[in-house]
Amino acid sequence: MKVIMSLLFFDMAFWFYLATMLFYFAYWITKKELLGQASTVLAIISTFAIFMMLLFRTKESGHAPFSNLYESMTFFVWVISIAYLIMEFKYKLRVIGAFVMAIAFIAMFATSKLPYRFQDIQPLNPALQSIWFELHVFSAFIGYAGFGIAFGMAIVYLIKARFEERKASNFLIDRLPFSNILDELSYKSIAWGFIFFTLGALVLGAVWANKAWGTYWSWDPKETWSLITWFIYAAYLHARVTRGWRGKKAAYVAVFGFLSTIFLYWGVSFVLPGLHAYASQ
Amino acid sequence: MTASEKNPIVKIIGGKIWGLFGSLKFTLFILFSLAIVSVIGTLLQQNQSLQFYIAEYGSKWTSLILHIGLEDMYHAWWFSMLLVFLVSNIIVCTIDRFPPKWKATLEAKVDVDAKFIKNLTNNHTIALQDEPQAAKEKIFNILHKKRYKIKEANNTEGVSLYASKGMIGRFGSDVVHVSLLLILVGVIVGSIFGFKDSGAFYEGEVTTIPVADFQFGIDKSWHGIPLPKVERQKKASAIQLKLDKFWIDYYETGQIKQYNSVLTVSDDGREVIKGKQIWVNAPLHYKGLTFYQSSYGLAYDRVKEAQFFLQDSKTKKAVGSPFQVDWNMPYDIPGTDYRIKVVSFVSDFAYDPTTKTIYPKSAEHNNPAINVEIYKKDGKPVGSPWLFYNMPELFTQIPGSNYELVFSGYKGIVYTGLSINRDPGTVIVWSGATLMILGCLMAFFIFHKRVWVHVRKGRNETEVHLGGMINKNKFTFEQELLEIVESIRGVKK
Repeated sequence: MKVIMSLLFFDMAFWFYLATMLFYFAYWITKKELLGQASTVLAIISTFAIFMMLLFRTKESGHAPFSNLYESMTFFVWVISIAYLIMEFKYKLRVIGAFVMAIAFIAMFATSKLPYRFQDIQPLNPALQSIWFELHVFSAFIGYAGFGIAFGMAIVYLIKARFEERKASNFLIDRLPFSNILDELSYKSIAWGFIFFTLGALVLGAVWANKAWGTYWSWDPKETWSLITWFIYAAYLHARVTRGWRGKKAAYVAVFGFLSTIFLYWGVSFVLPGLHAYASQ
Repeated sequence: MTASEKNPIVKIIGGKIWGLFGSLKFTLFILFSLAIVSVIGTLLQQNQSLQFYIAEYGSKWTSLILHIGLEDMYHAWWFSMLLVFLVSNIIVCTIDRFPPKWKATLEAKVDVDAKFIKNLTNNHTIALQDEPQAAKEKIFNILHKKRYKIKEANNTEGVSLYASKGMIGRFGSDVVHVSLLLILVGVIVGSIFGFKDSGAFYEGEVTTIPVADFQFGIDKSWHGIPLPKVERQKKASAIQLKLDKFWIDYYETGQIKQYNSVLTVSDDGREVIKGKQIWVNAPLHYKGLTFYQSSYGLAYDRVKEAQFFLQDSKTKKAVGSPFQVDWNMPYDIPGTDYRIKVVSFVSDFAYDPTTKTIYPKSAEHNNPAINVEIYKKDGKPVGSPWLFYNMPELFTQIPGSNYELVFSGYKGIVYTGLSINRDPGTVIVWSGATLMILGCLMAFFIFHKRVWVHVRKGRNETEVHLGGMINKNKFTFEQELLEIVESIRGVKK
């Protein structure tokens, strides 16, 4: 029997991500330095396993490893892991790893539950054979990852801010970073996400559509939802500098933004018809 | 706001409306409205037929949908209105905020005293043993090494320095706003002067490419109010397109890999592009026109060749073997003295009794029918019946003979579907998009860092006050200021 390396690495990565998430939670609860360091090691191994999965997938399929839902979800997990590791290295805040890795694991879980036909390697249809398509997806998914992390930070912010307001104390909540740091991290992730999303989902998507179909914008549901998502994050960026909107309300906008991102990514492909229907082939 | 008080518009109509359009809350309102309204457009399928909406939502809801314009909502007046609000909001905000920001940034206060610095959120006081002049120079060098631009001023108290960097970061948001306007301008230019058409092209055939012809006029259809209108008509251009070849590449699995067309373009009778291959994602450009590979299909109005056979009208048994007849070529039926010619074909037969014409109901090959002319070999016409592929019993008897003609098959002609497009707005849209990314980079990652330093002679040492301001990213700036303070102290040793 021929072993498909990419599927093997995917399965390995799945268990590693589960372990990583559990270790980060254990570290949050116990605050044991050993567990914290083990979490980071596990996160690096998981990221490497996913990298190997993507590498083999590229070799097996002969195209960039993000041309269907199964591949692009895996790619999303990889980007969010790398972004998190950079963040951890820069800010030395290991506790938030529990939340980011929870998002990564949920994504892995959702990917593993996709119908089996998605795991099959499909040759690319004519429209997808374009460098613009590859750049479009590549950049858009970095954007999604930024929004994903920001979502995690915004949720933690909302919890933490609530406790800070009431001056309530709880050993788990006290171990979370201060709310102003969480707000800053959420903003930073959205800033990165917004640039890559604007570039990838909107600009490069438009360039690709123009090359393939001769229209850079046609209001198909996927395009429209990416614009909706863009409006929400544009609103977030304005909310942060508006008196009465900064803080909690802005955090809610960040949460809504990611829900919109999820719908843009999954909902549109499965629920609404349009040009991007190829994603559900 | 002092800036808006000087504004002539505010002087005339008062500041309320101006203030509303210039507020960030209004921005949020528009952005959320656009988001919510756009969701409706993705849930309710756009630009469908009337029948579709009636079947889906019933006639009551349909009339409401049509009344509001929900069936084409991205072009509805209220959607355009939201975009106009967005544009007004951007313009008003820019007029309000940009000039004072520009002034404050360029004409920052250089000549400050120790009190000014002590009022800054981030400030430090350092005592140095150096002479004031030497201390100032050292601080100057430290800031210079960190790539600050420095100005200095002497005052009675001592010397003050103003150091800043990343000034352009301040204007990132303005760049993004202008880029958004630019993109909208590009879209408008495209919708007025752009032109899009598509058609079926057959191998070997030459087609004259139409272009849009513009006429500016007055439209009174909107409640009798005269509005400017652009009327467009198709006009034949001097450009001709010839399809040399069309083919499809397949994967080993049988899935389609690529559609390819080879095109030759002539302009004014002169061949300008010869045998250029295009495929999906690789269009052909000529004089602002772009030719895209967009679809393919079987011709609905012609065939390559048709197959017939004769049968005895009484026994219904085939006479002789089936024969192939090329399109529009007279063919002598072997063993008879009849000659036939295939003159017409429709893929989906339909008849219009008012105009008495036969036409293809659709491009699908649902009910293929073929029109043949039958002659005696001496050239005397006998008849020109339509024969139906799906209904071989109909109209088949050759008049004055025992033969029935049966239409038993055909080889279609594959056409390539090309889109032709001219959009002078795209250049503007792409410039806007590039500018938007640059603006975002400026706004998010270039921080305007400002440091004021005041050096004066104290009783027995030199007193240095240092403070700073940043527009965002406060944490890292605090760190940077501490580093600067450390190295100033370090100089002492």
